Amino acid sequence: MPAYYLEILILLLGFTMLGIEAFSSNRSRSGIAVLGISGLFVVLLFLIIAVPSSEVPYDYWGIYHVDKWALFYKAIAILTTLLVLVLAKDFSSAFKKYTSQSNEFSGIGEYYCLPIFVCAGLMWMASAKDLITIFVSLELVTIGFYVLVSFMRRNVGSLEAGVKYLVLGALSTGFLVYGIAWIFGVTGHFDLSGIAEALNSGEIEKKPIIFAFALLMVGLGFKVAAVPFHIWVPDVYQGTSMPITAFLSVGSKAAGFIVLLRVIEPFLNSPLTSSSVILILSFLVCVTLFFGNLVAIKQTNIKRLLAYSSIAHAGFLMMALPAMESGFHSKLIGPSPMESISFYLAGYLLMTMLCFLVITIVSSLTDGENIDDLRGLGARSPLLAFAMLVGVASLAGIPLTVGFFGKFLLFNIAIQYAVFSGSWYIVAFAVLGASAGFYYYFKIIRAMYCGGAEQDGDQLALTISTLSRVVIIVLLAGVILCGVFPKLILGFL
Amino acid sequence: MPTLNEYLLMGGLLFVIGLCGVMIRSNIIVILMSLEMMLSAANLTLVAFWRFGGGEGLPADSYNAQVMVFFVITVAAAEVAVGLAIIVALFRSRQTVDVEELRSMKG
Amino acid sequence: MIIDLIVFIPVIAALAIGLGAEGRKTALGAAGANLILGLIVISELMRKGGEELIFETSTVILENPKLTLGFAVDGMSGVLLLLTVIVTFCAVYVSPEKAPDGKVKLYHIAPLLISAGALGAFCSTDLFFLFAFHELALIPTFLMIGLYGHGRDKLAVAWKITIYLGVGSLILLGGLIALYSNLTSAESATFNIADLTAIAETMQLDQEVQKWIFLPLFLGFGILVSLFPFHSWAAPAYASAPTSIAMLHAGVLKKFGLYGILRVAMPMLPKGFEAWEGLILVLLLGNIIYVGFVTISQKYLDRMLGNSSVMHMGYAFLGIACVNHIGWNGAVLMMFAHGISIALLFALCGSLRERLSTLELSEIGGLASKVPFLAVSFGFAAFASIGLPGFANFASEITILFGAFNGAGEVGNLQKAAILALWGVVISAVYMLRAYRNVFQGDSAQGLTLVRRDSLNKIPIILMIVVLLLTGFFPNLILSMLPS
Repeated sequence: MPAYYLEILILLLGFTMLGIEAFSSNRSRSGIAVLGISGLFVVLLFLIIAVPSSEVPYDYWGIYHVDKWALFYKAIAILTTLLVLVLAKDFSSAFKKYTSQSNEFSGIGEYYCLPIFVCAGLMWMASAKDLITIFVSLELVTIGFYVLVSFMRRNVGSLEAGVKYLVLGALSTGFLVYGIAWIFGVTGHFDLSGIAEALNSGEIEKKPIIFAFALLMVGLGFKVAAVPFHIWVPDVYQGTSMPITAFLSVGSKAAGFIVLLRVIEPFLNSPLTSSSVILILSFLVCVTLFFGNLVAIKQTNIKRLLAYSSIAHAGFLMMALPAMESGFHSKLIGPSPMESISFYLAGYLLMTMLCFLVITIVSSLTDGENIDDLRGLGARSPLLAFAMLVGVASLAGIPLTVGFFGKFLLFNIAIQYAVFSGSWYIVAFAVLGASAGFYYYFKIIRAMYCGGAEQDGDQLALTISTLSRVVIIVLLAGVILCGVFPKLILGFL
Repeated sequence: MPTLNEYLLMGGLLFVIGLCGVMIRSNIIVILMSLEMMLSAANLTLVAFWRFGGGEGLPADSYNAQVMVFFVITVAAAEVAVGLAIIVALFRSRQTVDVEELRSMKG
Repeated sequence: MIIDLIVFIPVIAALAIGLGAEGRKTALGAAGANLILGLIVISELMRKGGEELIFETSTVILENPKLTLGFAVDGMSGVLLLLTVIVTFCAVYVSPEKAPDGKVKLYHIAPLLISAGALGAFCSTDLFFLFAFHELALIPTFLMIGLYGHGRDKLAVAWKITIYLGVGSLILLGGLIALYSNLTSAESATFNIADLTAIAETMQLDQEVQKWIFLPLFLGFGILVSLFPFHSWAAPAYASAPTSIAMLHAGVLKKFGLYGILRVAMPMLPKGFEAWEGLILVLLLGNIIYVGFVTISQKYLDRMLGNSSVMHMGYAFLGIACVNHIGWNGAVLMMFAHGISIALLFALCGSLRERLSTLELSEIGGLASKVPFLAVSFGFAAFASIGLPGFANFASEITILFGAFNGAGEVGNLQKAAILALWGVVISAVYMLRAYRNVFQGDSAQGLTLVRRDSLNKIPIILMIVVLLLTGFFPNLILSMLPS
């Protein structure tokens, strides 16, 4: 089965769900969610079993590229969407309050369908090796997110987040398109291999191509939430509904990174541009690590905290980007930057989703999103508290979790690259950032175990659906097992 | 006949005007218009580069850039459609289209 | 196989408690089983002499760089393994059935996890897991101090220890990565400690490279051992922590840093040490003299014990700085002796805390007649801590001094430092005897109440005293396992 059938299947699934939503007379929409979850699961199985993971990368029509990376990121996209639907299902009780009052389930069907279409966009991004396809798939994802972010129409925060995301997202699109135009103007190509050839031909000038690259980085920096293009992140994460926050934080970031990796590779490998590109990237890495981690320290809203933590993680991930420079490649000991970043993103998927699942369940009951609302969780629900503990520990990078191994791989690259090029300041910022991380992640742990429930109202028993319970246990096992046996993920790369 | 540089200057000017509009104005409708202007600037630049891309003032031999322009126009239309819907929803609940008043989140 | 068992029995027991097994009994069973298994390992080590790694197991985790989850013991690991199983057993034994708030699970899981982390770190054959296992203790320590700590500022103390240890381990991680990537090449990258040591011996990195890799390693390990001036986390944390955690942390976990320096930094980067020798000698004197005076000025028994444990680390650093096997063996013996004696002191301090309303030294007094068993055993522990002949601490301090003067024709910096360090013995005699007199002798202070009078857990205390005396009279029991 050719790989592009997967996107077609996903789209068919989305249309089917939309059709059921439109024409079914059944008021309850949870059937749609179940259909979506099982459909995505089947597509994931197809991806693993039916699609040949050939060693030789192949192209379709010059615009659709399939290699092991593409397949890996497609799998991440599908898995993320699947988990988002599980979250959305748990969230539906809280969701009712914020849509239409007259009809309690109105609109929630689309809420389950839209992530599927976004997923198709994410998968396509993984295969895009051409600036046109990159642009179109990116926009498919972004426009889908515009709707999803502002979906809770009665919730002021959600609409506000939607407007902010719309304005800043469209702004980044403007930069992206303008950058693409300039790259086309300078190199005469849209496809990345053509651009690489042109960059190495020695016939182009340096200034315009760096200008074009900088414009492109604004657009992509927005996607992966790098400082200083991060201003949308805290507000949007806080304002929108929990499942979409999770979706943005994992799906959007992962797809953004595969595109970023693909786009910067030709620029890093060309002697003309590499030094300036490394300079730009090093600057972005340092400010991202610095701001993401330090601003996170004072947050009290848990979604905002996770927003800054998501920025900080983008910083850690970008640490490996300058090391993709061709001169360094043969000297690196251990997994390559591409493998390390992919491993980290897969681990990030597991641990972030675990945390969001717990927060969704807790907040849909108590309606609170502050760290203090997790008070006494250790006593109320040991399973949820333990899941959150492991998830947060992994985000902080405590050993024997997947988060630590990911950080280890990235530090491995950053330190060796610092030995190679002398960029020790990146390592210093990373150590500073990771130390700050201990503080703000442990704040959550402290609230759960050391806080103690304040009022009797907090002693409400938490109900966890069977589906969520299974997913939590699977994710929990994944975080710990992949941390001890990283080959479970690295084996695919 | 205008040269490539003049087209690029025009495109750059449009882009900067759009950017300033996004930064300075607080009415979301105007911001959306400015954003469209930025995309148009990109389109103009693209077409100009294509027109002068083949050397000696001849068009480049593939139609990639044209395709890109059409995609940009389509995507811009979709963006506006979704954007206006969001703005209408916002106006219904808040009776405002001013971004300065969207400050319920802090931190 | 047997080492794998020793490492994973506490983990399995912790899991069982988490799933509903009875808290104290399960923990005690696991710790007891580990004690027996540990003794078997030690007897085998004594038979074989401890030069080579025995009971080696390995599972390959990753091919490039080569990561193996594997365990083995040689003499040094064996001594620390023995220390860990003894202290764990005693710590679990003295902790009460239920936590102060009536909860059971976390209270008994935490010591087991800390113990498993220490065991894994000491016995791991792989640099990566040596590091990874150590941090297993981070969260349990944070939670136990934050939840069940003593004193009003327990949360601040919990933060302090977490941040210090977190930052220390990050610096350490950086150093470890720099070390392995300098020693190996892309084709043969490995984390195996034995392989890396062999490579380091044949390859001999440049002086300058060794110097700059040694610094983060020493700093990272040093922070974990509470090296002066990064020691300020230790005393408040030990004073605040619940008894079992204080015993495990001060007795066992802190030895990890010393173990790391002896296992990794010294053999692989000998020239790196030479470059920093002067600084290290100054810092270790800071530990002994400065912290010694700080200890004298303490007003509370628990703080004083915490500071005394920081002070004694200076001797272990002195042993390491000898750069010969006599000094290093002395340092290992010191780790063992200090680990047992400080655990004993904290256990006694814990039972005093249960019985008294305050631990302020000027408020209490004359307890010898009320709790004679406590008084006698505290006397033993205090004498051991000072380093009186007959206790393992004495043997270790003497060995370290022999190491410092071994083959020295003239009095160099090391010898001067050793002479200054000798005065530390006087300092520790001053504060220990003063504390003993304050607590157990003299008149019973006004308003002092014995809150509880029920019977003591005598078994762990007697066990620790016996171990101290045994290794004090026959230090060769330990030294015979170490290279000479």
